[in-house]
Amino acid sequence: MANPLSTLQQGWLYAGFELQRLWLTRRGLMTLAATAVIWFFLLRYAIAPASDLISADGFQQFFRDVFGSGGLTQLFAWPAPELAVYWVLSLLILPTFCLFFTANQLCSDLERGTLRFLALRSSRSSIVLGRFAGQMLVQGSLILLTLAATLSLAAWREGGISLAMLTAAIVIAVNLLLVLLPFTALMSCFSAMVRSARLAVSLAIVSLGLVFALLSWFIFYFPDYLFLMGYLPGTQVLQLIQLQGWVTLQHALLPLAQTAVLLTAATVLLKRRML
Amino acid sequence: MSTIIQCQGVSQAFGSKKVLQQLDFTLQQGEVAALIGPNGAGKTTLFSVLCGYLKPDSGSVLLFGHKPGSAALFGKVAALPQDAQFDPAFSIGEQLDFYGRLQGLNSRAAAAETDRVLALVGLSEQRQHKAGALSHGMRKRAAIAQAFIGAPQLILLDEPTAGLDPVNALQIRQLISRLSAEVSFVISSHNIFELEQLCNKVLYLEQGRLKTEANSASDSLQQFLTLQLEQDDSAAVTQALSALPGVISIEAVQQKTLLLCYQAQQNADFDLAVLQCLAANGWRYRNLTKGKTLEQKLFSSV
Repeated sequence: MANPLSTLQQGWLYAGFELQRLWLTRRGLMTLAATAVIWFFLLRYAIAPASDLISADGFQQFFRDVFGSGGLTQLFAWPAPELAVYWVLSLLILPTFCLFFTANQLCSDLERGTLRFLALRSSRSSIVLGRFAGQMLVQGSLILLTLAATLSLAAWREGGISLAMLTAAIVIAVNLLLVLLPFTALMSCFSAMVRSARLAVSLAIVSLGLVFALLSWFIFYFPDYLFLMGYLPGTQVLQLIQLQGWVTLQHALLPLAQTAVLLTAATVLLKRRML
Repeated sequence: MSTIIQCQGVSQAFGSKKVLQQLDFTLQQGEVAALIGPNGAGKTTLFSVLCGYLKPDSGSVLLFGHKPGSAALFGKVAALPQDAQFDPAFSIGEQLDFYGRLQGLNSRAAAAETDRVLALVGLSEQRQHKAGALSHGMRKRAAIAQAFIGAPQLILLDEPTAGLDPVNALQIRQLISRLSAEVSFVISSHNIFELEQLCNKVLYLEQGRLKTEANSASDSLQQFLTLQLEQDDSAAVTQALSALPGVISIEAVQQKTLLLCYQAQQNADFDLAVLQCLAANGWRYRNLTKGKTLEQKLFSSV
């Protein structure tokens, strides 16, 4: 049995190595460049125009008339409309990006046999935990970069950055990381099962779709079990959109629990498989 | 002498194919074991079991008293796994540094260790290069280098010189030979000449079964000499040598090669007597080896 302290130390080394992969390798820099291009278009053609629209009094009144003063009207409570649009957009698209982005946690190393070098020096638990932590650090870096760009846009329009805007940005970053935790852990599982990132993504999409379809079918006949839907990864996203500020953390427990279960599964899967 | 590897009743099957069947063997400290067998005999599977990459279906394996893959073995057991490749995104040096860090070294010590092991395999100048920029032989040597990081007490090498040019293969053999005073090795190879030079114990696998487990002291009662002649004078030489005291049998194992079996107690200087007999008759010889060749030990009944 591996010592928990050495598992954490080695996990930290793996996480640092993944961060190095993002910032110091050609492939990592290509990922950064691709992210920059995608977010440039999102900021230029989605967030900036939508922010102008949201900040218009007429639109806010129209929105309240249609949807009432609760729910989505909380979007107007964010200190900058750019952050509100970033919040909605990120919550909806980042989980899908995450499936693709984090699919290769273990697959390539399994295929190449690199894991055989690693398994002689560290436990399989620390490999899974370290790679997972590394992916979260990488995604955290990208979220911080895109948030910084969004804040710059807001600052340019409003003539400066307020403390409320910075706090809101931190709230968004923490929540996005919480939302991405179970999806990243889900890809830890699938990448421990197969030797190709593409196959891992396909398996994840099919599995999520299948579970959703089976659960829907089950609930159709047994409506009392509707609450089960709430346990699927990402189901809190629609509730989060309607919230604002630190109150959003009331939905933090479920993704944390899902992540713990999925990471345990990933560790068991890697321990049981032949390298 | 302490036991380093203890295998008892190890079996492994993939589907209906039994790859390993009831393997029992031990390896003592200081032994260098050759793992030999035809293709598909189960050598790589046995390596995978010993490295902890694969849990056997049944039986028990202990390395230094621990199950393979245990945390207690990290840094103590090293291996050159077959066909394992480095990560193409990082340089060889960066990866070896990282492996050193995983083994508990600090950054500076890990860097120094990388320099040391790369120098051992003659790759010091390739530190900054990525695996993709290296030739097949260089990649193999880099993979061997990772097995020497730290101070391992047991090194498992799966085909260490396959694909290497003769000069580099010789360097790797010399390296293993030099280190074998302090480190135990298990070496799998199809090169019997190489194994004969390096190993003092043989594990011969065939169809997943251990056919032979022998060490260099196996021939203690009857001693052997292998005599390779310059010219094919086997018949005359056999007749002359048969008259020497202590001779039990003389067998022509190949053209120009004789296997002499003798009683060492009866004639302690039998090898000298053979040389004197050859000199007296003007027969030139190419090679005189004490004992049977590994090839003869393993395949003499074939």
